[in-house]
Amino acid sequence: MEMTTDLAVVSRARSGDADAFRQLVERHSKPMFRVAYRMTGNEHDADDVVQETFLRAYRQLQHFEERANFGTWLHRIAVNCSLDLLRARSRADRHYGGDPESAELAGAAAARTDAQQDRLLMSADLQKHVAAAMERLSGNERTAFVLRHFEGMPVEEIGKTLGIQVNAAKHTIFRAVRKLRESLEPIVRSTPCNT
Amino acid sequence: MQHLTEEQLVSHYYHDGDAAFAEEHLAVCEECRTQFETLRKVLGLVDQLPIPERGDAYGDEVWTRLRWKLGSNRRRSAYGWMAIAAALIVAFVGGMFWHARSQQPAPSIVAHNAPAPAAQPAAIASASKDRLLLVVVSDHLDSSERMLLELSNADAKHPLDVSSESKRAGELVASNRIYRQTATRRGETRIASLLSDLEPVLVELSHAGSTLSPDELAALQKRIDSKGLLFKVRVVSAQVSGHEAPATVPQKGMDSL
Repeated sequence: MEMTTDLAVVSRARSGDADAFRQLVERHSKPMFRVAYRMTGNEHDADDVVQETFLRAYRQLQHFEERANFGTWLHRIAVNCSLDLLRARSRADRHYGGDPESAELAGAAAARTDAQQDRLLMSADLQKHVAAAMERLSGNERTAFVLRHFEGMPVEEIGKTLGIQVNAAKHTIFRAVRKLRESLEPIVRSTPCNT
Repeated sequence: MQHLTEEQLVSHYYHDGDAAFAEEHLAVCEECRTQFETLRKVLGLVDQLPIPERGDAYGDEVWTRLRWKLGSNRRRSAYGWMAIAAALIVAFVGGMFWHARSQQPAPSIVAHNAPAPAAQPAAIASASKDRLLLVVVSDHLDSSERMLLELSNADAKHPLDVSSESKRAGELVASNRIYRQTATRRGETRIASLLSDLEPVLVELSHAGSTLSPDELAALQKRIDSKGLLFKVRVVSAQVSGHEAPATVPQKGMDSL
C-alpha cells in the first residue's frame, strides 16, 4: 500500500487529527535525530532537540506553507533548535568555564607519538578525538560546517539560517574547517590510509 | 606560481569555487595537491564519526514523550479556564449571599421561606471541590504515569540510576496519600482504589536510594505489570482529564493529545 504523502498527513494534522501528527513524528524522528546529533554531538541533547523540534512544529503547524516540503521545514526547525541549544551551551560554558577535558582533548592529539597515533586509528579513541575536534568549534562554526558538509546546504541558505551575510557564512565554514584541520591533521599525516 | 589559498581549497572541496581554475592548478602544483589531499583526509575522518543508532521504535518513543508535553500545554490552558470558572463561581456565590441578605427583612422569615439559596451555594461549592480534586489528581496521575513508564521501559539487565525518580516518588507519595483520603471521603472509589494500588510502588521507589539493582528493578516491573497499574493509570487519567476539561465543543483529535 502506498504511503500517504506528508502533505496529506499534515493537512489532517492541521485540522486537529492527533493520529496524523503522530504519524509525522514517527516518520521524521530518525532523520531529525541524525541532524540534531551532528549539530550537538551529544546523544541526549539530540533527543531533546528532536522533542523540541516536534513541539515547535506542532505549535507552528498552521504557519506551514503547503507548497513547501514538510521534511525540509522540519529540518530547518531542528537546525534552529540545535543552534539555540549550542548557543545556550556556549553561554553556560563562558559562565562556568566550559569542559576543560574535551576542550584539551583535541589539542592533546597533536602531541601524541606516531605509535600512539597508529593505535588511535584502530580504536574508539579516534572517534573521541574527532568528536573533541568538533567540540572546539563555536556554535555558529559547528552549525555552518554541519550544514555545508553533511547536509549539503548552499552557503546562502546557511547565511540565512545563522542570520549572517553570505561572506560571513563562508568565512565561518573556513574557520571551522581550519580548526578541524589543526586538530586532526597530525593524526591524518601519521597514517597513509585513513579514509 | 601562486598557490591556492586555504579558502580556495575548501571551496573546491565543496564544489563552491572556480572548479576549472582549481583543477588546472592542482594538476601542476604538487604542494597544493598535497594540501588538498590532507584536507580531503581530515574531512574524511569527520565523515567517519558514527551517529548512534535509533531503533525502529524511536518515532514511537518520541511520540510517547511528546504527547505529555502537548498534553501539559492543553492542561495549562484548562487551568486557565478553571481559574476563570472559579472566579465566576466565587462572584456568583458572593452575589447570591448579597442578594439573599438584601432581600431578607428578618431572620425568622428566612427560616420558613428561603431554604434554597443556602442549599444552592453549598451544592456549587461541593461541585467546585470535586472539580478541583479532578484537576489535581489528573496532574498527579500524569506524573505517576511518566515514572511508571520509565521504569517499565528500563532494561532490567542493568542497574538503573533512579536518584531523581526516587526523590520525585517521595513527593508523589505525600500527595498520593492526601488525594487517596480525599477521594475516599468524597466517594470517588475508582480514583481512591487506583491511588491505593499506586502508593506501594511509589513508596518502594522513594526508598530505593540512588540505584535499583537488576533484581529490584525486575521485581518493581513485575509489580507494575501484575497489577496492570500503567494501564489503570492511563484509563483513569484519561477519564479524569475528560471530566476536568472545560465545557467547550471538543475539537476532533488534537484535544486528545
